[in-house]
Amino acid sequence: MPNPAGATPGVVETAAAVSARRQTAVAVVEDSLARIAAGDHRVRAFLEVTGDLALEEARAVDARVAAGESLPLAGVPLALKDNIWVAGRRTTCASKILQGFRPPGDSTVAARLRRAGAVFIGRANMDEFAMGSSTENSSSHVTRNPWDLERVPGGSSGGSAAAVGARFVPGGFGSDTGGSIRQPAACCGVVGFKPTYGRVSRYGLVAFASSLDQIGPLTRSVADAARLYRAVAGFDPLDSTTEDRGIGDPEGALARGVAGLRVGFLEEAETESLDPEVAESLEAARRIFREAGADVLSVSVPRATAAIAIYYVVASAEASSNLARFDGVRYGPRATDADLNALYVESRTAGFGPEVKRRILLGTFALASGYYEAYYGRAMRVRQLLSADFDRAFAAADVIVCPSIPGPAFRVGEKMDDPLTMYLSDVFTVPASLAGLPAISVPSGLTRGGLPLGIQVLGPRFGEEAMFAAARVLEAGAGFPDALSPVAG
Amino acid sequence: MTSDRPVVTPAVARKVAELARLRLPEEDLVLWSAQLSRIVAYIDQLAAIPEESFGAAPAGPATPVRADDPRPGLGEQALEANAPRQLHGYGVVPRVVGSGS
Repeated sequence: MPNPAGATPGVVETAAAVSARRQTAVAVVEDSLARIAAGDHRVRAFLEVTGDLALEEARAVDARVAAGESLPLAGVPLALKDNIWVAGRRTTCASKILQGFRPPGDSTVAARLRRAGAVFIGRANMDEFAMGSSTENSSSHVTRNPWDLERVPGGSSGGSAAAVGARFVPGGFGSDTGGSIRQPAACCGVVGFKPTYGRVSRYGLVAFASSLDQIGPLTRSVADAARLYRAVAGFDPLDSTTEDRGIGDPEGALARGVAGLRVGFLEEAETESLDPEVAESLEAARRIFREAGADVLSVSVPRATAAIAIYYVVASAEASSNLARFDGVRYGPRATDADLNALYVESRTAGFGPEVKRRILLGTFALASGYYEAYYGRAMRVRQLLSADFDRAFAAADVIVCPSIPGPAFRVGEKMDDPLTMYLSDVFTVPASLAGLPAISVPSGLTRGGLPLGIQVLGPRFGEEAMFAAARVLEAGAGFPDALSPVAG
Repeated sequence: MTSDRPVVTPAVARKVAELARLRLPEEDLVLWSAQLSRIVAYIDQLAAIPEESFGAAPAGPATPVRADDPRPGLGEQALEANAPRQLHGYGVVPRVVGSGS
């Protein structure tokens, strides 16, 4: 049943209503659970809905509000990707090898959200260990795109994106290693934001590629993304990659506009092979920024074209190392006790799905003696060149704009037999990941076939404020939040 | 690198799987090696970047490290929640040293 976004309040609106005691957190959570019950049998965004725990948390939030506490996320129900620890729940990364794993406590992100008054409604489906662009690599089930159930929601944070796109929850969190927040956000018609590397603690995020992983929000509006980001960002002694510096005023930046801002459109994205409807959405974005008073120009990041090649060496190499800990001894099912090597091999062979194995093999290959310099060493050097390209581009522009996805969400099963083609789905999101830049995907409109597309705004490292200002202008110009999601409600 | 590019032959795939502590069924080795070879061939575009390009690239920021000070652990309960078996307050795991593997 079509359902206008206006009828389902977002993060900021929900928190305001609960804070002002116009609505209880319990009522908000009950409403969210009712939406899930009505629609998730079709979308299948969740691995587990933890309704009783969520209601218990909602009651605690109501008590805190009644006691006069000021909570920026009062009663906001969230869908967290199943690789983020939440105390009292399981964390499986949608993998058989983590079946039954109970995290020892909250991740830093979950702890900060809890403190801000948020409620955790369930564990969102994902590609196993965040490896994939379609959520088809979940060991549990395939999540469907709320705009077209025959299509994928993108990935790897496809469950969180679909849950927000279907209006089950006003917001969610995912992790983004090469585009895993932004790409599914674009596919599902929602906002997805990957903060600067070092902004948000990964303590309690199951590691995939540690030089790239970032946690970030998925929401229906840029303002909601800024609110969720504000709640989780900042230094954490438990993650040494977080930087001890102020996060500024992301929500204040939303009203700043783009008058005089230098908005650089990425030249390398605008090739002749670009999907015509994606090209049209870029043209529309150019017009929106120009009319809002921005100084619109073109910028070049030449090595952006090498990003996928760099990424699949670096991310796979780091994954092969990070996932070595899953050996049947400390986590998950143990295949055999016969001898130690057999225990390792059989537990890992039974526990990991095909895509995870492929990445581990690729990473092991790239790190193996004889190949290391030619693959890993070279990829790391080209990654430096790419970062330097971005530094030069940001000398000319305050923010950079490019598409989020090369085309609308593809059909379930369409790319499963062709890993390389699947990898190329992330062609526009991987460059910002490799350079550690903040990047946000904003819904830019629907294709003639009725499927969402997204445009990304990239900022310089720790330059989230300019990025939010530009993203808000783009969002207002595109007018997407009023569009309908066919299976919502 | 391009001229003597290593192709992920079934033998290489088998060897890499062994290093990664994974077992690939013999009948699937050809498919695995074909898929990996195609990905590696794509990655080989990095070899085409001229060597002189690298001279000017500045080193990236080093990963910050925290002080190597002792901190309290997560406590026994955290261990107990996941240990499949316990004895005398310890988690029981298979023998991992001196088993001849």
